[in-house]
Amino acid sequence: MPNTIEKTLLMDQEKLPVKQIKQDFKMVTFSLGGKDYGIDIMKVKEIAKFSQFTYVPNTPPFVRGVYNLRGEIISIIDLRIFFHLPVEKRKDGVENGLILRLEDYIIGVIVDSIDKVVGIASEDIQPPHPIFGDINVKYISGVVEYKGTLYLILDVEKLFGKEEQTVQKAHTLEALEGSLREKPGLGSTVKESVLVGQTEKDFIRETLKTFKSFHVTPVNEKWLEERYEQWRAERGKQGRDLQIKSVEEADEFLRTFYSPYTDMVWPEDFANSFLELIQEFSGKVFSVWNPGCGKGYETYSMAALFLSKFPDAILKVWAMDNDLLAISTAPNLVLPPENIPSYLLPYTIKGKQGIGITSQLKDRIFFEYHDILHVNVVPECDLILARDLVSFLSPADQGKILEEFYDKLKPSGILILGNHEEPIETGKWVRISNKSFSAYRKNIE
Amino acid sequence: MRVEYINPFVESAYNVLKEVLNCQVNRGELYLKSTSTPVLGVAALVGLAGDVEGRILFDMSKETAIKVASVMNGEELKELDDLAKATITELANMITAQAVTKLHDLGFKFDLTPPAIFTGDNMEVTTAEVEALIVPMVIPYGKVEINVAIRERL
Repeated sequence: MPNTIEKTLLMDQEKLPVKQIKQDFKMVTFSLGGKDYGIDIMKVKEIAKFSQFTYVPNTPPFVRGVYNLRGEIISIIDLRIFFHLPVEKRKDGVENGLILRLEDYIIGVIVDSIDKVVGIASEDIQPPHPIFGDINVKYISGVVEYKGTLYLILDVEKLFGKEEQTVQKAHTLEALEGSLREKPGLGSTVKESVLVGQTEKDFIRETLKTFKSFHVTPVNEKWLEERYEQWRAERGKQGRDLQIKSVEEADEFLRTFYSPYTDMVWPEDFANSFLELIQEFSGKVFSVWNPGCGKGYETYSMAALFLSKFPDAILKVWAMDNDLLAISTAPNLVLPPENIPSYLLPYTIKGKQGIGITSQLKDRIFFEYHDILHVNVVPECDLILARDLVSFLSPADQGKILEEFYDKLKPSGILILGNHEEPIETGKWVRISNKSFSAYRKNIE
Repeated sequence: MRVEYINPFVESAYNVLKEVLNCQVNRGELYLKSTSTPVLGVAALVGLAGDVEGRILFDMSKETAIKVASVMNGEELKELDDLAKATITELANMITAQAVTKLHDLGFKFDLTPPAIFTGDNMEVTTAEVEALIVPMVIPYGKVEINVAIRERL
């Protein structure tokens, strides 16, 4: 490695303009979040590629783990996370980095990409300007221009130096916390680890909101707590950090959230649990509101099931979704020919495209392209089927919609939420869930 | 709005505009709106009744309206006179009628009211209890927004 560095050095020296020939400062340059930085070469032990870290639990998010450098265990810090810069996910899992030799110890840092080694005259280094955006100015020892590019020189001793370390860490944590509510007094040693866990959880909340508009509130908090522990274990095993950095990772995190059989016909045993919920029904008209019905699989399953138990009832279903593409396919849904459950069979018909739904069932359902946050024109309902919908609304809207569910439900009506959801005002509802559905009745007292 | 209603309106708007103007028509992304919508300058309104209740609004800027009326009449019109207004009214009628005919074939029964035309600056339209489906159509003379607000009778 030293050879290549010297080689680049020499090449660059040849091309140097006369003015800069007197060079007494050499730095390794690299990029972070699309900007160029340099670190004093005297602090750089070597340039490295890191591939397998060992994740260490209960560390701040910027600590990616520890790494075995030829028998010596060093910590690896991700500078991008440290400075809140966007992290590009690498497919091969190999990260570019530098091994830094500080006064007291050796540490590894991850950067976007290593550029080259350049030699400059120390007199050309200018003090940093206080308005530099991404990185706190006190970690920058200077700015220098080299061949038309401005490099910010990082002061690694200040960043990771021993005396400063505790202060820095506290400072970074403070920044990471952001909107975090204040925790009531805990023992100081416990406090830090709780704080770190809390910060990571807060990050996950934020990223779920950003990538999937999934809002963590009392509606789904219980699930999040469990999922967070699972996620920690999963990611730890894979040697990855906890942060969610893309829509795919957010999907991965939410994988266990979704209720079963959302985008498919309900199988028999699942269907039977649904019928358990609707034990009695004495009226004549049974009205159902099914917001967030998607392509209509659950709407048809529910409607056919209801009619199989109460064939003489008049069923009316208002099924709506704000996904135009999904809802457009609902009225003419085509089912895969295999595994059609027996309760749905009487309502299927063989068409040109495949197995369709008969108009006998279809005529009882209104599929509407509708945004639930707009005015909902539905009558008083016997059943509201809204699985995995509320969590994807903003906290204020969640309250509003749950309130509306309460108002629109008949006194004997049933509300079905997603399997990992519950109403916010639990006092207003009585839980009547079974193994397959999270269901509630109004608490009329 | 019921899914079955969307396509007839989109299709007939596309077909009629293309036929009478004989030009390229591009459909924009459909979306829903429930707050008041600003009116671009010239709005033709057709009421609907029957299985549903509501109205359709054809909205465009004054310049677009004059150009569209000029093309439809085959002569250069300078301002939004009676002839131009009558032409825009006719366009609204044609699109709505074609959509309603298609819906009738699907088994839905709608009646229309005669179109009314509104012109002016800084106008807004609000249908408080019904959300509107917006179908933007882009033609070489500007943008025509078709604002469909209908709901089922409960």
